[in-house]
Amino acid sequence: MSGGDTPSTLTDHHPHHLRRSVGTVTATATSAGLAFAAINFIGVVSVATFAAGSSAWLAILIGGLLAFVVSGVFSELNGMWPTAAGVRLYISSAFGVRAALIITLTYMTTVILVIAADAFLIGAAIQHVLDEPPALAYVWILALLVIATLLNLRGITMAGRVQSIVTYTVLAGTVLLSIVALTKPGIVPETPFALFGNGVMSGFQAIAFALFLFAAFEWVTTTAEEARKPSVITRALFIGPVLIWLAATAFALGLDHLVPKDVAHGSAYPQLLLGQAALGRVGVIWMLGVTVLTAINTFNGGFLVASRFVYAAAREGNLPRSFAKLNMRAVPWLAVVVLAAVSAVVGALVFATGRWLLLVAVGAALEASVFAIASAALLKLRRTSDRHRPFRLWAGPAVAGFGAVLFAGLALASGFSDPEIPTQFSAAPALIVLGLGAVSTVYVLFVVPRLHRAAAARRAAARASGERVRRRPQRPA
Amino acid sequence: MANWDEVDEALEDYTVSCNTNERLRKMQRDWTRMLHFVCNDTSDTFSMDVQAGEIVSTSQGHTGVPDIVVTTDSETFCDMFWGDINPMPKYLRGEIQVRGSQEDIMRIDAISYVIWPDA
Repeated sequence: MSGGDTPSTLTDHHPHHLRRSVGTVTATATSAGLAFAAINFIGVVSVATFAAGSSAWLAILIGGLLAFVVSGVFSELNGMWPTAAGVRLYISSAFGVRAALIITLTYMTTVILVIAADAFLIGAAIQHVLDEPPALAYVWILALLVIATLLNLRGITMAGRVQSIVTYTVLAGTVLLSIVALTKPGIVPETPFALFGNGVMSGFQAIAFALFLFAAFEWVTTTAEEARKPSVITRALFIGPVLIWLAATAFALGLDHLVPKDVAHGSAYPQLLLGQAALGRVGVIWMLGVTVLTAINTFNGGFLVASRFVYAAAREGNLPRSFAKLNMRAVPWLAVVVLAAVSAVVGALVFATGRWLLLVAVGAALEASVFAIASAALLKLRRTSDRHRPFRLWAGPAVAGFGAVLFAGLALASGFSDPEIPTQFSAAPALIVLGLGAVSTVYVLFVVPRLHRAAAARRAAARASGERVRRRPQRPA
Repeated sequence: MANWDEVDEALEDYTVSCNTNERLRKMQRDWTRMLHFVCNDTSDTFSMDVQAGEIVSTSQGHTGVPDIVVTTDSETFCDMFWGDINPMPKYLRGEIQVRGSQEDIMRIDAISYVIWPDA
């Protein structure tokens, strides 16, 4: 793959640097921080469930290599459209405006899933450590969501430097505890290379879940407008997955060494089990601290990305206008409150059913689908767009074509998996993803045109009543 | 293509609209930024100094170090400053390009939305 520091069109026009801009260290922290959430600990357990013997590390390695394909695809696309609205632009340029809206609306549900999953997992971890009745976990979930909502409504966002410190602390904390775990006497690893030992499909599913560990690292492209130069985002897209791979691999090896698979599999807090096995109570508190820190990134980044997406869609007329309502801190308050409420409902469902692993499977299927679509978009844009590309993916058409097919296959593999009983197939994740896609499609095809017609009628009525006239003076003939 | 006089006239009207809108001033009270603008069709450039939500000066050319850089064609700038268009769809189509933090981009759109909610 090749890439350079060629300035973007914007930089060509404007030679000055911004007063505040994002460099490689912060952008990398954003990439890794958005991806490494509490759900990743459960994700590693899911990988280990499908990978035979002690071969989870191999699935994670392959997942990491596939993440590099995603890095290449998004680097080229981001170079062409370095904007927070990038995903919409790539997909609409390749497949049309409606398809882009359907896909991005479905994609945004991943954010809600991750926020809900993290709220549940962190709530469950706190409840476990405090040795409280299980029902109190939901109180913690609600408390976390309320705190995140209030901080967002007050317009409090984390500075880049703080976000970097939090991310690197989470990653280093996970790696360090895992290394400590590996120094303890433990379970002798068996068949560390037998990834497909439980069958080809099982091995393939392990890779699909391993790819999920990297989910959302590509969201760093939404910060492209504040990057010092386009190559900053490219670097983050390639370094971020390496950091996630290091932390996930260390955790997988540590878990495999000290915690029996069946014990980890049934737990909503495998990271605490590893902490307990490695360092006793100190290890538990250590990993609880790491878990709570992941929430800062998830809630800060997740709420911000999703609520601003909802605001932009409402301003564009693709969602009801009320979602663009701003409070006195210029925060789209209704978007934030609705996101939190939906996350609380999803969190409650997970809490009531205890099916958190289903959430992992749905997330894995959604994310692999998005990777497949982005690869297909690049493949098409190589033929149809001659837009300036600061980064050009080496053997682009071949790599993107390979990515489109492989990621679609991985989406199917996770969509038809049952992480709770790995020997069985389940269509539940695929049905949920299809359901979300169907709701988005119906909405875009039938509701959005109505919203547009209503907006046009409102403008026409305002013009007719003289309430709204063109203000710009006519040019002299 | 709009000439500099047209852009300047639009900018003056925008300044008055912003500075006399009490809700906007209150909402933007913690917002102090230097904005640079680039007309990509005429190569005209101009700056806007915002202090605690008030536009304290606008000038041709670029002054100071920007927090935000907005690039589009001169006609779009005129329409945007007169409040005749909603800038968001153009931003989402890539016709208005902005460099700056997501929060600042949001604030710029919020200004148009608060002054001209029906644009």
